[in-house]
Amino acid sequence: MEHKFSELQFYKELYINHIHLSFQGMVSQDMLTLIGLSLRRRPNSEVVAKRLFGLVVELAQNIYHYSAIRSFSKKDDREVGVGILTVGESEHEYVVCSGNMIAAANGPGISQRCELINALDEEGRKRFYKEQRRQPQREHSTGANVGLIDIVRKSGNPIGYQLELVDEQYSFLTFVVKISKNLPVVE
Amino acid sequence: MENFHIKADTFIPEIEFNAGSGVLNISGESYHEYTLEFYQPAFDWLNRFIQVPNQTIQLNFRMAYFNTSTSRRFLEIFDLLETYEKEQGGSVEVNWYYKANDVDMRDSGEEYSEDTDLKVNLIAI
Repeated sequence: MEHKFSELQFYKELYINHIHLSFQGMVSQDMLTLIGLSLRRRPNSEVVAKRLFGLVVELAQNIYHYSAIRSFSKKDDREVGVGILTVGESEHEYVVCSGNMIAAANGPGISQRCELINALDEEGRKRFYKEQRRQPQREHSTGANVGLIDIVRKSGNPIGYQLELVDEQYSFLTFVVKISKNLPVVE
Repeated sequence: MENFHIKADTFIPEIEFNAGSGVLNISGESYHEYTLEFYQPAFDWLNRFIQVPNQTIQLNFRMAYFNTSTSRRFLEIFDLLETYEKEQGGSVEVNWYYKANDVDMRDSGEEYSEDTDLKVNLIAI
Protein backbone atom coordinates (compact mmCIF):
# COMPACT_ATOMS: atom_id res chain seq x y z
CA MET A 1 0.00 0.00 0.00
CA GLU A 2 1.33 3.36 -0.93
CA HIS A 3 1.22 5.70 2.04
CA LYS A 4 2.91 8.98 1.30
CA PHE A 5 2.09 10.84 4.48
CA SER A 6 4.81 10.47 7.06
CA GLU A 7 3.56 10.39 10.62
CA LEU A 8 7.16 10.65 11.75
CA GLN A 9 7.76 13.76 9.70
CA PHE A 10 4.52 15.24 11.02
CA TYR A 11 5.48 14.40 14.58
CA LYS A 12 8.92 15.92 14.13
CA GLU A 13 7.49 19.09 12.63
CA LEU A 14 5.19 19.54 15.59
CA TYR A 15 7.92 18.61 18.04
CA ILE A 16 10.58 21.02 16.80
CA ASN A 17 8.03 23.82 16.63
CA HIS A 18 6.83 23.15 20.20
CA ILE A 19 3.27 22.54 19.08
CA HIS A 20 1.52 20.51 21.74
CA LEU A 21 -1.93 20.48 20.27
CA SER A 22 -2.99 20.18 16.66
CA PHE A 23 -6.34 19.52 15.15
CA GLN A 24 -7.60 19.15 11.62
CA GLY A 25 -11.21 18.77 10.58
CA MET A 26 -14.58 19.99 11.76
CA VAL A 27 -14.19 21.84 15.02
CA SER A 28 -17.37 20.74 16.75
CA GLN A 29 -18.63 22.15 20.04
CA ASP A 30 -17.57 19.00 21.84
CA MET A 31 -14.08 19.23 20.38
CA LEU A 32 -13.82 22.84 21.53
CA THR A 33 -14.88 21.84 25.01
CA LEU A 34 -12.20 19.12 25.13
CA ILE A 35 -9.54 21.47 23.81
CA GLY A 36 -10.68 23.96 26.43
CA LEU A 37 -10.31 21.47 29.23
CA SER A 38 -6.79 20.58 28.22
CA LEU A 39 -5.73 24.21 27.72
CA ARG A 40 -7.12 25.42 30.98
CA ARG A 41 -4.89 23.04 32.88
CA ARG A 42 -1.76 24.64 31.49
CA PRO A 43 -1.19 28.26 32.39
CA ASN A 44 -0.51 29.27 35.96
CA SER A 45 -2.87 32.19 35.71
CA GLU A 46 -6.57 31.57 35.47
CA VAL A 47 -6.99 34.75 33.44
CA VAL A 48 -4.32 33.74 30.92
CA ALA A 49 -5.90 30.28 30.68
CA LYS A 50 -9.27 31.77 29.90
CA ARG A 51 -7.79 34.20 27.37
CA LEU A 52 -5.94 31.36 25.67
CA PHE A 53 -9.15 29.37 25.49
CA GLY A 54 -10.99 32.44 24.20
CA LEU A 55 -8.47 32.82 21.37
CA VAL A 56 -8.98 29.20 20.38
CA VAL A 57 -12.76 29.61 20.47
CA GLU A 58 -12.75 32.70 18.26
CA LEU A 59 -10.30 31.20 15.77
CA ALA A 60 -12.19 27.89 15.71
CA GLN A 61 -15.52 29.62 15.16
CA ASN A 62 -13.93 31.66 12.43
CA ILE A 63 -13.06 28.41 10.66
CA TYR A 64 -16.44 26.92 11.45
CA HIS A 65 -18.36 29.79 9.90
CA TYR A 66 -16.07 31.09 7.18
CA SER A 67 -13.90 28.29 5.81
CA ALA A 68 -14.54 27.79 2.09
CA ILE A 69 -14.14 24.02 2.49
CA ARG A 70 -17.18 22.66 4.25
CA SER A 71 -18.31 19.29 5.43
CA PHE A 72 -21.68 18.06 6.61
CA SER A 73 -21.96 17.69 10.36
CA LYS A 74 -24.62 15.22 11.38
CA LYS A 75 -24.73 16.56 14.89
CA ASP A 76 -25.18 20.18 13.85
CA ASP A 77 -27.37 19.16 10.92
CA ARG A 78 -25.63 21.52 8.54
CA GLU A 79 -22.43 22.12 6.65
CA VAL A 80 -19.60 23.45 8.78
CA GLY A 81 -16.16 24.77 7.90
CA VAL A 82 -13.06 22.63 8.02
CA GLY A 83 -9.57 23.78 8.90
CA ILE A 84 -6.62 23.31 11.20
CA LEU A 85 -5.86 24.67 14.63
CA THR A 86 -2.60 24.46 16.53
CA VAL A 87 -1.47 25.60 19.94
CA GLY A 88 2.23 25.83 20.60
CA GLU A 89 4.54 27.67 22.92
CA SER A 90 7.86 29.38 23.28
CA GLU A 91 9.52 30.24 26.54
CA HIS A 92 7.34 33.25 27.29
CA GLU A 93 4.36 32.93 24.97
CA TYR A 94 1.62 30.66 23.75
CA VAL A 95 1.10 30.67 19.99
CA VAL A 96 -2.32 29.85 18.59
CA CYS A 97 -2.72 29.38 14.84
CA SER A 98 -5.59 28.62 12.54
CA GLY A 99 -5.53 27.71 8.86
CA ASN A 100 -8.33 27.32 6.36
CA MET A 101 -9.22 27.85 2.75
CA ILE A 102 -11.08 30.99 1.79
CA ALA A 103 -12.40 32.24 -1.53
CA ALA A 104 -9.38 33.97 -3.08
CA ALA A 105 -11.52 37.03 -3.75
CA ASN A 106 -12.04 37.58 -0.01
CA GLY A 107 -8.31 37.79 0.72
CA PRO A 108 -7.79 41.54 0.29
CA GLY A 109 -10.77 42.34 2.55
CA ILE A 110 -9.37 40.17 5.33
CA SER A 111 -5.88 41.61 5.15
CA GLN A 112 -7.29 45.15 5.16
CA ARG A 113 -9.32 44.36 8.27
CA CYS A 114 -6.31 42.90 10.07
CA GLU A 115 -4.16 45.91 9.18
CA LEU A 116 -6.88 48.25 10.38
CA ILE A 117 -7.25 46.48 13.73
CA ASN A 118 -3.51 46.11 14.22
CA ALA A 119 -3.00 49.82 13.67
CA LEU A 120 -5.36 50.80 16.49
CA ASP A 121 -4.20 51.51 20.03
CA GLU A 122 -5.94 50.03 23.05
CA GLU A 123 -8.59 52.75 23.28
CA GLY A 124 -9.19 52.59 19.54
CA ARG A 125 -9.68 48.84 19.66
CA LYS A 126 -12.13 49.16 22.50
CA ARG A 127 -14.10 51.79 20.60
CA PHE A 128 -14.03 49.74 17.40
CA TYR A 129 -15.12 46.61 19.28
CA LYS A 130 -18.12 48.36 20.79
CA GLU A 131 -19.00 49.98 17.49
CA GLN A 132 -18.87 46.66 15.63
CA ARG A 133 -20.83 44.87 18.33
CA ARG A 134 -23.63 47.38 17.76
CA GLN A 135 -23.76 46.54 14.04
CA PRO A 136 -26.43 44.07 12.98
CA GLN A 137 -25.06 40.58 12.62
CA ARG A 138 -24.00 39.54 9.17
CA GLU A 139 -24.53 35.80 9.26
CA HIS A 140 -22.97 35.01 5.92
CA SER A 141 -20.29 37.62 5.85
CA THR A 142 -16.64 36.64 5.59
CA GLY A 143 -15.70 39.26 8.15
CA ALA A 144 -15.64 38.16 11.76
CA ASN A 145 -15.05 41.73 12.84
CA VAL A 146 -15.81 41.38 16.50
CA GLY A 147 -13.95 38.08 16.73
CA LEU A 148 -10.75 39.49 15.25
CA ILE A 149 -10.83 42.61 17.43
CA ASP A 150 -11.46 40.47 20.49
CA ILE A 151 -8.47 38.31 19.56
CA VAL A 152 -6.19 41.33 19.40
CA ARG A 153 -7.61 42.81 22.61
CA LYS A 154 -7.33 39.56 24.57
CA SER A 155 -3.89 38.59 23.32
CA GLY A 156 -2.44 42.07 23.69
CA ASN A 157 -0.62 41.52 20.40
CA PRO A 158 -1.28 42.27 16.75
CA ILE A 159 -2.85 39.44 14.81
CA GLY A 160 -0.46 37.84 12.32
CA TYR A 161 -1.91 36.63 9.05
CA GLN A 162 -0.73 35.06 5.85
CA LEU A 163 -2.57 34.53 2.60
CA GLU A 164 -1.25 32.00 0.13
CA LEU A 165 -2.88 31.67 -3.25
CA VAL A 166 -3.65 27.98 -3.82
CA ASP A 167 -5.31 28.23 -7.21
CA GLU A 168 -7.50 30.79 -8.97
CA GLN A 169 -10.39 29.95 -6.66
CA TYR A 170 -8.88 29.54 -3.20
CA SER A 171 -6.36 31.09 -0.87
CA PHE A 172 -5.10 29.52 2.32
CA LEU A 173 -5.53 31.86 5.26
CA THR A 174 -3.33 31.50 8.33
CA PHE A 175 -3.83 33.48 11.52
CA VAL A 176 -1.08 33.57 14.14
CA VAL A 177 -1.81 34.92 17.60
CA LYS A 178 0.69 35.18 20.43
CA ILE A 179 -0.18 35.66 24.05
CA SER A 180 2.18 36.16 26.95
CA LYS A 181 2.22 33.35 29.51
CA ASN A 182 2.39 35.90 32.26
CA LEU A 183 -0.26 38.44 32.95
CA PRO A 184 1.01 42.00 32.52
CA VAL A 185 1.00 44.00 35.73
CA VAL A 186 -2.61 44.39 36.82
CA GLU A 187 -3.98 47.92 36.57
CA MET B 1 -46.93 33.25 32.92
CA GLU B 2 -44.62 30.22 33.10
CA ASN B 3 -40.98 30.43 34.14
CA PHE B 4 -38.16 29.80 31.71
CA HIS B 5 -35.33 27.42 32.36
CA ILE B 6 -32.43 26.05 30.36
CA LYS B 7 -29.98 23.71 32.05
CA ALA B 8 -26.29 24.48 31.70
CA ASP B 9 -24.08 22.34 29.53
CA THR B 10 -20.39 22.71 28.76
CA PHE B 11 -20.91 25.43 26.17
CA ILE B 12 -24.29 26.82 27.15
CA PRO B 13 -25.17 28.78 30.27
CA GLU B 14 -27.90 28.10 32.76
CA ILE B 15 -30.79 30.45 32.14
CA GLU B 16 -33.49 30.90 34.76
CA PHE B 17 -36.15 33.52 34.21
CA ASN B 18 -38.74 33.81 36.94
CA ALA B 19 -41.97 35.42 35.78
CA GLY B 20 -43.30 35.88 39.29
CA SER B 21 -40.32 37.59 40.91
CA GLY B 22 -38.87 39.23 37.78
CA VAL B 23 -35.45 37.75 38.61
CA LEU B 24 -33.54 36.75 35.49
CA ASN B 25 -30.38 34.68 35.95
CA ILE B 26 -27.79 33.82 33.34
CA SER B 27 -24.76 31.93 34.58
CA GLY B 28 -21.88 29.74 33.49
CA GLU B 29 -20.23 29.59 30.09
CA SER B 30 -21.57 30.49 26.68
CA TYR B 31 -19.76 29.71 23.46
CA HIS B 32 -22.42 28.09 21.35
CA GLU B 33 -21.64 28.39 17.64
CA TYR B 34 -25.14 29.55 16.85
CA THR B 35 -26.03 31.99 19.56
CA LEU B 36 -28.88 33.46 17.52
CA GLU B 37 -30.64 30.11 17.56
CA PHE B 38 -29.68 29.21 21.09
CA TYR B 39 -30.89 32.47 22.65
CA GLN B 40 -34.04 32.78 20.52
CA PRO B 41 -36.35 30.99 23.02
CA ALA B 42 -35.01 33.24 25.79
CA PHE B 43 -35.78 36.32 23.70
CA ASP B 44 -39.23 34.97 22.88
CA TRP B 45 -39.92 34.59 26.59
CA LEU B 46 -38.55 38.05 27.41
CA ASN B 47 -40.63 39.66 24.70
CA ARG B 48 -43.78 38.12 26.13
CA PHE B 49 -42.75 38.98 29.69
CA ILE B 50 -42.32 42.68 28.94
CA GLN B 51 -45.80 42.92 27.47
CA VAL B 52 -46.87 43.71 31.04
CA PRO B 53 -45.72 47.26 31.87
CA ASN B 54 -44.29 48.61 35.14
CA GLN B 55 -42.60 45.43 36.36
CA THR B 56 -39.45 45.32 38.44
CA ILE B 57 -36.69 43.23 36.92
CA GLN B 58 -33.42 42.07 38.37
CA LEU B 59 -31.04 40.69 35.77
CA ASN B 60 -28.10 38.72 37.20
CA PHE B 61 -25.10 37.70 35.13
CA ARG B 62 -22.74 35.20 36.71
CA MET B 63 -20.61 34.32 33.72
CA ALA B 64 -17.30 32.49 33.75
CA TYR B 65 -16.69 32.80 30.01
CA PHE B 66 -18.57 33.88 26.89
CA ASN B 67 -17.56 34.30 23.25
CA THR B 68 -17.99 37.38 21.07
CA SER B 69 -21.11 36.00 19.46
CA THR B 70 -22.73 35.70 22.90
CA SER B 71 -21.60 39.20 23.76
CA ARG B 72 -23.89 40.51 20.99
CA ARG B 73 -26.83 38.62 22.45
CA PHE B 74 -26.18 40.07 25.91
CA LEU B 75 -26.09 43.56 24.43
CA GLU B 76 -29.46 42.84 22.84
CA ILE B 77 -30.85 41.86 26.23
CA PHE B 78 -29.57 45.14 27.71
CA ASP B 79 -31.17 47.04 24.81
CA LEU B 80 -34.48 45.26 25.15
CA LEU B 81 -34.72 45.96 28.88
CA GLU B 82 -33.50 49.53 28.46
CA THR B 83 -36.39 50.15 26.06
CA TYR B 84 -38.75 48.48 28.53
CA GLU B 85 -37.60 50.79 31.30
CA LYS B 86 -37.86 53.91 29.13
CA GLU B 87 -41.13 53.18 27.39
CA GLN B 88 -43.07 50.75 29.58
CA GLY B 89 -42.37 52.08 33.04
CA GLY B 90 -40.22 49.09 33.98
CA SER B 91 -37.62 49.25 36.69
CA VAL B 92 -34.52 47.26 35.80
CA GLU B 93 -31.38 46.59 37.77
CA VAL B 94 -28.46 44.55 36.46
CA ASN B 95 -25.99 42.75 38.69
CA TRP B 96 -22.81 41.74 36.91
CA TYR B 97 -20.94 39.26 39.10
CA TYR B 98 -17.31 38.42 38.40
CA LYS B 99 -14.59 36.49 40.18
CA ALA B 100 -12.43 39.03 41.97
CA ASN B 101 -9.28 38.11 40.00
CA ASP B 102 -11.04 37.97 36.64
CA VAL B 103 -10.09 41.36 35.19
CA ASP B 104 -11.53 40.48 31.78
CA MET B 105 -14.96 39.66 33.17
CA ARG B 106 -14.93 42.87 35.18
CA ASP B 107 -13.98 44.84 32.05
CA SER B 108 -16.80 43.18 30.08
CA GLY B 109 -19.28 44.29 32.70
CA GLU B 110 -17.83 47.77 32.72
CA GLU B 111 -18.15 47.99 28.94
CA TYR B 112 -21.78 46.97 29.05
CA SER B 113 -22.45 49.56 31.72
CA GLU B 114 -20.92 52.20 29.43
CA ASP B 115 -23.16 51.06 26.58
CA THR B 116 -26.47 50.98 28.42
CA ASP B 117 -28.56 53.42 30.42
CA LEU B 118 -29.62 50.64 32.79
CA LYS B 119 -28.19 50.61 36.28
CA VAL B 120 -25.39 48.05 36.30
CA ASN B 121 -23.74 46.94 39.54
CA LEU B 122 -20.32 45.34 39.14
CA ILE B 123 -19.95 42.87 41.97
CA ALA B 124 -16.72 41.01 42.76
CA ILE B 125 -17.21 37.61 44.36
